[in-house]
Amino acid sequence: MKKYMAYPYGVWMLIFIIAPILLVVYYAFTDKSGALTLGNFTSMLSYTSIFGRSFLLAFAATVVCLLLGYPLAYIMSKQPPRWQNFYMMLIMLPMWMNFLLRTYAWMSILENNGFINQFLQNIGVIRLLNTLLRPEAPIEYLPLINTGGAVVLGMVYNFLPFMVLPIYNVLIKIDKKLIEAAQDLGAPSGAVFRKVIFPLSMPGVIAGITMVFVPAVSTFVISKTLGGGKEMLIGDLIDLQFMGNAYNPQLGSAIALVMMALVFLCMLIMNRFDDGSGEEGGLLL
Amino acid sequence: MEKKCLIELKCIEKEFDGEQVLKGISLSIRNREFVTLLGPSGCGKTTTLRIIGGFESPTSGDVLFEGRRLNDIPPYKREINTVFQRYALFPHLDVAENIAFGLRLRKLGEQEIQTKVRTMLELVGLRGFERRKVTSLSGGQQQRVAIARALVMQPRVLLLDEPLGALDLKLRKDMQLELKKIQQSTGITFIYVTHDQEEALTMSDTVVVMNHGIIQQIGSPTDIYNEPVNAFVADFIGESNILDGVMVRDELVRFCGRSFECVDKGFGEQTPVDVVIRPEDIKLTFPGDALLQGVVESIVFKGVHYEMMIRTEHFTFMVHSTLAEPVGKTVGLSVVPFHIHIMHKTEAAQ
Ligand SMILES: Nc1ncnc2c1ncn2[C@@H]1O[C@H](COP(=O)(O)OP(=O)(O)OP(=O)(O)O)[C@@H](O)[C@H]1O
Ligand SMILES: [Mg+2]
Repeated sequence: MKKYMAYPYGVWMLIFIIAPILLVVYYAFTDKSGALTLGNFTSMLSYTSIFGRSFLLAFAATVVCLLLGYPLAYIMSKQPPRWQNFYMMLIMLPMWMNFLLRTYAWMSILENNGFINQFLQNIGVIRLLNTLLRPEAPIEYLPLINTGGAVVLGMVYNFLPFMVLPIYNVLIKIDKKLIEAAQDLGAPSGAVFRKVIFPLSMPGVIAGITMVFVPAVSTFVISKTLGGGKEMLIGDLIDLQFMGNAYNPQLGSAIALVMMALVFLCMLIMNRFDDGSGEEGGLLL
Repeated sequence: MEKKCLIELKCIEKEFDGEQVLKGISLSIRNREFVTLLGPSGCGKTTTLRIIGGFESPTSGDVLFEGRRLNDIPPYKREINTVFQRYALFPHLDVAENIAFGLRLRKLGEQEIQTKVRTMLELVGLRGFERRKVTSLSGGQQQRVAIARALVMQPRVLLLDEPLGALDLKLRKDMQLELKKIQQSTGITFIYVTHDQEEALTMSDTVVVMNHGIIQQIGSPTDIYNEPVNAFVADFIGESNILDGVMVRDELVRFCGRSFECVDKGFGEQTPVDVVIRPEDIKLTFPGDALLQGVVESIVFKGVHYEMMIRTEHFTFMVHSTLAEPVGKTVGLSVVPFHIHIMHKTEAAQ
């Protein structure tokens, strides 16, 4: 009886997961006339720099998320239980807003005559910089938008909760007795963290890295809005093949397929770091 | 063997959210002693142990270690190690690394660590288990790892919180003997927590009986068993019949509507007291040969003896005897004066 219950799910998987992947594979290996070819893959070679840039920015965003997210999750897990839910809500709050809206908001903050630059002008920082650093070619604003930094900022802002939540979830489940046992065996608080808490939180870290890195490496909205679209990421490239003027679904599929493989590879390497300690870490694969 | 005072608790009180859990615990523990804290669930045994270990600080009172005040010393600086109630082994480390945990913090050489770990594993009978995951071990094996992990630190004092609680009876008995042997061979002071009175009596040099956060009695196992100071201790250490009685005068007590000779004095006249009679001290006779008569209500075979419930007019007695009497039979119950124990009524004994 239980078996039948799973059928709708099976059908759903077939239609919405398996079929699209097969379709992507089919497109990737055919040309416009439908004949088998590897041409889509060879023509991708000219885009290696875009791949490199995407992985670099996503990597940077992941590192920043980890550096910000881990302490945040750690501090949160130490708060009295009543407050923990409140902090959790604060972290989730931005996610209730539309993704596009959030990103556009950053646009108006970072623009050349946006919030930050206006503020810097008003308090005279720009003038100060001009007199100090470059009196010969004065600037009117700091170039904030349309930079790699702005893209990373956008990624961090949007994906930080995906880093905090899995780490927090693992941290609050660590048995307090283990911390006491470590203290009992002579560990001051630093050693307790290094030798017990951090290793035990690895599954959360791995999950967090995965959940930030994967959407970051394939995003296109963020790079379009905050990166100005002049330096494309893989997401933009794929977007262009399906929606843009470069219309070429075959190439788009091939790129998507290669990226899938690369992401898969990254995750595989990630999980090797986690060997032994947390079996849960592998669940995401 | 030198026996000087190692740990002293002075009037320890502890409150949790306004509820007083320890109400003035004073206790001194000598070097190399095996002390057991015994008492019913929730009486404050674990809390007392955690205060000694440094995981809880007392609301008032002092913990002294060789005369030095220990209150503000964090756990990692105390020469005390703990075997936790549910082991608390590190799941991300294998058996050997669990045992080596404290040694690595002491920055010992790799060679020395390996040697010590191997010696310890041998001592607790887990040779060859070095690389096993702790999560793959049975309860008894995990228990041994927890003991090894604490012992390898060569602490002055080892705290054990119901270390055998999760083991089956046979394994429990074996481990009791092993622990006692380890304690004697290493000379480490053991402070042991249990709510199993038999375990306390067989293993300890000194038993501390607690109830509701108050120490009821401190003494050797024989003292505690033979001369319980109140009805609570008498009842907790082995089963007892506890009756309300009145001390008529010295050496005469009245209960169950009759007067009995006893050996206790100094209670005054017409004083309400608790009368304690152990089940094995009641002899069954012909109905006419005793002051009390009763009807056998039930009988259970307990291995060495039979346990019978015998209903008299005022009270149902528990009686242990090697001879069985059929249910429904009327018998006489007699007790020699020496076995009638008279105790002051105390609040805590209720
Ligand atoms: N952290 C705490 N916060 C609030 N109350 C506590 C805390 N720890 C213990 N208590 C209370 O203190 C009392 C004594 O607890 P304790 O753990 O010392 O009992 P115990 O004698 O070890 O019992 P057991 O045999 O069940 O382990 C209990 O009523 C318990 O509810
Ligand atoms: Mg306890």
